[in-house]
Amino acid sequence: MTGDPGAAGEPSGVSAGGESAADAEPSRGPEGDGPASEASRGPEGEGIGPAAESLRVAARELVDIGVTVRGAAVHATAALTDGALLKALPHAPSAGWRTQRALLRAITDGRGLGWAPAGGRPVSLAAALGALAGAESLAVRVLATSLRLRIAAVAVDHPELTGDPMLNRLVEAAAADRDLEAVRALRALLADRGAVRVLSQLAPVFGEVLALRALLDENPLNDATAWLIATGTGYATADPVTGMSNRAVAVLDRGEGAARRVEPAETESARLATKGSLLGFLGNISVIGTTGRVLIQSVEGPDGVVRHVVQAPGMRSGRPDHDSPQDLLGAFSSAVLAASPYSRALAKAVADYGLPEGAELALIGHSAGGAAVMNLAQDPGFCARHTVTHAITVGAPVDFKRPADPDTWVASVTNQHDIVPTLDGQGAGGCFDLHPDWYVVDYSDATHLFPLCHSIDRYVANIATDLPEARDHIDGRLAPYRGPVVRSQVYRLFDHPPEPEGFPFLTVPTHAVPGPGGRVELPIRCQDGGALTAYFAANPAVAAALLEGTGLGPAVRVAGRALVAVHAAWNRRTSVGVHRELHVGVVVPGPWRARGPLGWYDLVRGADRRRSGVFLAGSVVDTAVVAALAPRLWGGEPSLLPLEFGLARGLARITAGLGGASRAGAYGDSAAGSAAAGEWLLVLGGRLGPGLPVSERDLVGYARAAGTTLRSCVRARGRALLHPAPWLRLTVAPGSAHPLARLLRDLGLDGARPLLCLSATARRTLRDAAVPVPTT
Amino acid sequence: MRRPPARRPARRPADPAPITAHAVVLETDARALAECAERLREISERLEAGGVAPRWLRHAVNAHLAACTTAAADLTTAAAHLRHYADSVRPAAH
Repeated sequence: MTGDPGAAGEPSGVSAGGESAADAEPSRGPEGDGPASEASRGPEGEGIGPAAESLRVAARELVDIGVTVRGAAVHATAALTDGALLKALPHAPSAGWRTQRALLRAITDGRGLGWAPAGGRPVSLAAALGALAGAESLAVRVLATSLRLRIAAVAVDHPELTGDPMLNRLVEAAAADRDLEAVRALRALLADRGAVRVLSQLAPVFGEVLALRALLDENPLNDATAWLIATGTGYATADPVTGMSNRAVAVLDRGEGAARRVEPAETESARLATKGSLLGFLGNISVIGTTGRVLIQSVEGPDGVVRHVVQAPGMRSGRPDHDSPQDLLGAFSSAVLAASPYSRALAKAVADYGLPEGAELALIGHSAGGAAVMNLAQDPGFCARHTVTHAITVGAPVDFKRPADPDTWVASVTNQHDIVPTLDGQGAGGCFDLHPDWYVVDYSDATHLFPLCHSIDRYVANIATDLPEARDHIDGRLAPYRGPVVRSQVYRLFDHPPEPEGFPFLTVPTHAVPGPGGRVELPIRCQDGGALTAYFAANPAVAAALLEGTGLGPAVRVAGRALVAVHAAWNRRTSVGVHRELHVGVVVPGPWRARGPLGWYDLVRGADRRRSGVFLAGSVVDTAVVAALAPRLWGGEPSLLPLEFGLARGLARITAGLGGASRAGAYGDSAAGSAAAGEWLLVLGGRLGPGLPVSERDLVGYARAAGTTLRSCVRARGRALLHPAPWLRLTVAPGSAHPLARLLRDLGLDGARPLLCLSATARRTLRDAAVPVPTT
Repeated sequence: MRRPPARRPARRPADPAPITAHAVVLETDARALAECAERLREISERLEAGGVAPRWLRHAVNAHLAACTTAAADLTTAAAHLRHYADSVRPAAH
C-alpha cells in the first residue's frame, strides 16, 4: 500500500485520477488508466505535498543506492569465493594471496562496504555471524536512512509522529540501533497510552519502524524480511521482530477448504442490499459479519446481464485456529501466501453457487477477506473458469498480490491508521509505486484508534461520508453490477469439509412417506433439541383402566401407585422443521411378560433392547406436519396446540395450550394461581433441583391403534441430568374439558410433584415410524 | 628390467579468464559506487535546498558518501589485484 497521508482529522486526500474526497484524507489513488505519477496527485490539486514527495523520492533513490551497494558486495564476495582463483593460486601464489586479501578487505572494510559478505548460503552464514556481532554493511545503513526518510515523509502529514516526544524517542532509538533505549521508549509509550493507542499512532509507519529495527538489530533471521520491506520487492516473509518465517506460521493453517450453504437469520436477510452498489456490498459484509460466512449474490445489470458478486468478510473472532478459514491463522496465511484455505473455500462456494460458463464475477473483501479474494483473483485456474472483472479490497494487505487476468480492475481502500493493511510490510510510508494500474485510496480520518478504524462499519462510514469521489469512482466502475439483486446465498466456510451434522448417529437410511405438504423423510432427524421427562406417582386404578386390553401388562408401580411419565421435547432443528411435543403415558413393563426382578434395569436400556416403555395416553404437538405424521410415528392422534418449552439454569417451564406461557408467568408454582380456565391446558414448571449427570435415554412408546399395539422409539444421544428431588409442579387448567386435562385430573396429577425428572438441554434424536407388535 | 621412474603429471595451466571477468565486474561496481556517492551528495543538497531535509540527514549522507568513496577505492584496488593475478597465471606465449 502506498500513499500519502493527509492531515489528521481533516479530509484531504484523494485518489484516482485526481478525484478528491471531502472530509477524509485520501492520499493516493491511481486510476488504472494513468501513470503512477498522476495517480499520486491529490484531489483538487492538493494531493501529496511537495515536501513529502521529495522525501519519498529521496528514499526511493536511497533504495537504488543500497541495492547497488549490495550488488557490489555480492560481486566482490563471488570473486573471493570463486574456485577459479583458488585453483590458480599455485601458479602465482604471491599475486593470488594479495588478491584474496584485497577482496577480503573490500567486503569487510568498516569504512567502506562494511561487513558485507553476501551471496550464497555459506556466505550468508558469515553475514549472519557478522549481524550477531553487530556488524553492519553499508547497504543496510543506506536502507536504514531510506526508511528514516520514509518515516519523515509520513510525519510531514502526520505531525503527531514527530511532534510527540515519546513517539519520537522510540523512532530515534530504533533508527540509532539503541536497543535498550528503544525498549524503554516503547515501554514508556505503552504505560502512558496503552497498547491500542500506541499501535494506532504508530500504524502509518509501523512497517518502517519494524523494518528499521530488523535491519539494525543483531538478529540475522529477520534481515531478509527487513530488506524486502525496505526495498519494496516483496511481502514480509518473516516476522520482522523475531525473524520467524511467515510460511512456518502459515503452514499451520491447513485445509483444502469447504463451503456449505446456510440460511441467514431473518433479520440478516432483511438487511441485505437489494440493489448492487459498493456501499451495498460492503454493508452486506457488515451484515454477514465475522461469523465464518461469506455471501454470493447475483445482480441483474442495467444491460440485463446477470453478474455475480462474492462478498468476503474479515477474520472471525475467537480462537486463533478453529474450523473456519476465517480465523487468525487463516487471515495470516491469506495475507502472506498465494493461496490459503480461505481462498480455496471461497472457490468451493463459487463452484457450488453454480456460475454459468463465462459469467462475470466481482470479488469484494474486507481485511482477511480482501486478501482471500485477491488470492482468488490471482489464481490462474479460477480466472480460467470465471471472468473476474473486479477485485475490490477494503482494509486488506494486498500490496504484493497480482490478478492473473490483466483485465481485472483492482481497487484498494485503506485507512492509514489501520495496521492490518501494513501486515505485508508496506504502509503509508511506502515509496514505491507497486501497482500503478490499481485504484488506491489510502486515507486518514480523525479516528486514529485501531482496531476501530479497521472495522468494516468504520470503512463503510468513511466511504459513505468522507470519500464521496472515491465511492463514486468505484461505483462507476461497478456500473455493470448496479442492478437489482436476483439471488443471494450465504455460505459457511471450513478449513476441511465438515462431517455431516450428527455423524454418525444421524447418518441413517431414509425413506419418504406422504405428509401434509408433500413427501416427508423418515426417520425424523433432530440435530438439536431439548427434553424433559417427569415421572409421577398416579392413581393405579385409572392407569389400570387405561391399560385394559392392551396386553401391555400392569403399570410399573412405585409404593403402590402407578408410574406415569410426562415427556416434553423441543426439537429445534429437525428434518421436518422445528416442533415441540408433549406426551403423557403410563410406564409399562412391556408386552408378553410381566416386569421381573430386572424390570427396573430394563427401563434404562437402549431402545433396541428395551421391552418396557410408556403406554401413550395423550399427546400434544404444535405443528400440523407432526400432527399429521403422528399416527405413523407413534400411533396416536395428538392435539394440535401451542406448546412452550423452557429449560435453563435449573428451571423448567412447559406449557400447553393457548396463552399458557403468559398465564404461567414465570417459572414455578405460581402458574396455578394465575391460570385461567379455557385458555391453557397445563403447566409443568419449577426448579429441577440438583442433578446427576447421565446419558440421555431413549424413549419407547406403546399405543393402540385400530386394534393393534404399536411400538415406537425415539433414539436419543446427548448428556442429561437426573434430578432425584425435583421441585416442579404439574398444574392442569381448572375446568378444562380437554381430554388430556381430564386424564391428568383422573390420574391425580393436577397439582402433583414428580418423583424424579430427566432433563437434557441439548440432544440429538432419531424417530422412525412405529411398528405393530402382536400383544393380544 | 628397470621400470622407468614415475613422472609427476604436468601442472594444468590456470585459466585467467574468470579472474579477469571478476576484475571487470568490480571495476564497474567501483564506478557505480562512485556514482552513488555523487547521487548521495545530490540528494542531500536537493533536500536541504528544498528545506525538507531532516536535521540528521546531512550527517548520515556524509557518512554514506565517505563509505561509498572508500568502498569504490577498495573495489578498484581489488580489481587491480585481480588483473595482476590474471596476468600472472596466464601462460607465457611461445
